[in-house]
Amino acid sequence: MGSDERHFTIIEHTADLGFRVRGETLKRLFENAAEAMIQTMIQAPNLQSAETVPILLHGADPEDLLVRWLGEVLYWFEGAKQVTVRTHVLSISSGNLEATLHTIPYDPAQHEILCEIKAVTYHQVKIVQKADAWEATVIFDV
Amino acid sequence: MDIQLKKLDNCRWLIPKTGRMRVPGLIFSNEYLLKDIRNDQSLVQVCNVATMPGIVRYSMAMPDMHWGYGFPIGGVAAFDADDGVISPGGVGYDINCGCRLMTTMLHATDLRDVMQSLVSELFKNIPTGLGSRGSVRLSKKDQDRVAVEGAAWAVKNGYGEPGDLDRIEDRGTMQGADPSVVSERARKRGIDQLGTLGSGNHFLELQVVDTIYDRQKAHAFGLFEGQFTVFIHSGSRGYGHQICDDFLKEMGNTFPADSMQLPDRQLICAPLSSDLGRRYFSGMACAANYAWANRQILMHWTGEVLQRALGITPREFGMHLLYDVCHNIAKLEQHTVDGRSKTLCIHRKGATRAFPPGHPQLPEVYRATGQPVLIPGDMGTHSYVLAGAETAMQHSFGSTCHGAGRVLSRSKAVKLSKGRSIHRELEDKGIFVQSRGKKTLKEEMPDAYKDVSQVVGVVHEAGLATKVARLRPLGVIKG
Repeated sequence: MGSDERHFTIIEHTADLGFRVRGETLKRLFENAAEAMIQTMIQAPNLQSAETVPILLHGADPEDLLVRWLGEVLYWFEGAKQVTVRTHVLSISSGNLEATLHTIPYDPAQHEILCEIKAVTYHQVKIVQKADAWEATVIFDV
Repeated sequence: MDIQLKKLDNCRWLIPKTGRMRVPGLIFSNEYLLKDIRNDQSLVQVCNVATMPGIVRYSMAMPDMHWGYGFPIGGVAAFDADDGVISPGGVGYDINCGCRLMTTMLHATDLRDVMQSLVSELFKNIPTGLGSRGSVRLSKKDQDRVAVEGAAWAVKNGYGEPGDLDRIEDRGTMQGADPSVVSERARKRGIDQLGTLGSGNHFLELQVVDTIYDRQKAHAFGLFEGQFTVFIHSGSRGYGHQICDDFLKEMGNTFPADSMQLPDRQLICAPLSSDLGRRYFSGMACAANYAWANRQILMHWTGEVLQRALGITPREFGMHLLYDVCHNIAKLEQHTVDGRSKTLCIHRKGATRAFPPGHPQLPEVYRATGQPVLIPGDMGTHSYVLAGAETAMQHSFGSTCHGAGRVLSRSKAVKLSKGRSIHRELEDKGIFVQSRGKKTLKEEMPDAYKDVSQVVGVVHEAGLATKVARLRPLGVIKG
């Protein structure tokens, strides 16, 4: 498995892309998952963000929330052409998430797209609390 | 999970009904391909699909099957229109990902010296790759028209000929599309992507017909040995991806996976008879139509680029659409079940329709031959043209495979390619490739795919479709 020193490792999947991500808290897990997805999708210079996007999500459970959360980050890039450079999860429970995306406008001259992610899937999505950290598995359609 | 397979014949294997499976699984494969199939989770996915409400006869998988998300790639499942379900995951995010093959009047040998430059011209002019935007400027009203009319919209706006519509599955327009069910997010994602190829395994390939298997059908399809042909593989882009995502979320809220006792959340579905099921069908049709418009535009531009590069007229080029098929879709079709004609919702997730000779839904031009079936191989090996056969109606609800099927994950393919120049390896085989993504060639290298000749061999031997011709790649552009 490939690994990144930050917080995630790539999972082998025949047709698509998956990763396993960790975080000391559930909030950090969600922030790290967003960061992992962004790093997979795009190489962007570390710039001060120009915009903030408030995110308020409801889900059936933490896994559902995670898929919706990453789907938001994906949409803001694919649809609104805003690259998320940082996320801040303000609060999270089993069914609700409040967060902020810090974004910059997508600039093809400055931002190299590494991988086109079509969607965040529910397939084998899993969040577990281990002794020292939270861990999540998620698979993307590429 | 150790899944028992019972051999029915050299090409068909049964997974007996166990546990919560409502029907058995039916795998179209051979001993050789099964070795790889057993290495991933695709057989488990066939069993999972078999648990879905209203599934009819079998949960099936074609010989290019591999691990997907929810449904296996290569999965086919039919649901009763009255008491069955429709599942966005059984169609896929890339709704109406599909392909089309164009014939020309040219001999490939005459183009040998210019093939590399043709590839370069296409790479320069066809919007390809990550983040690419098309030059088709759509108003919101236009986007809705595309969603309803599909390829017909493209023809009306000068892309291609009216006769092309006869050679597209469903004439390039799926009925029942309703743009009012499409979210603002899907519209935004798709507004500037019409006329773009995409990335990943999407491609535009220049080919030569190197083998004719069935002279009569090849003649009817307009194919001859040594002919220069062009193959396009693309889908509904962000528009379709978002439509699928939107409905998965809504179905998850309304019909949670637990409540339907689904073993995989990605199998979320809604009763076909429900308002939500019907709305998803309408949204899916919008995306299907967008994809057909997309491929129609790409075909038109490809013709223009090649004619300009070769300095010849359209008449001299003689490009014609042979056929266009979708391989991620759910269709309402009439099939015989227990001796009675029934309306079924056929989900083909990485699978192709293969209607036989005489089928009323085929255009007049192909009524005698059966439907052309297009099977792309990987970029280093052959693609195939087949014709749908009657056995497909009996055994697979008129379905067959869609491609070679992956055997390696993308990360494994990248690792295996270390120290190798895939670009040079292909050039050594006489195939000129240009791609935008740094990792695309490595992820899509030939070793990452099954042997397509084995896959097509199973299809032919099983009688789902019969081989007509084989095409060899000469040049490819990828995202």
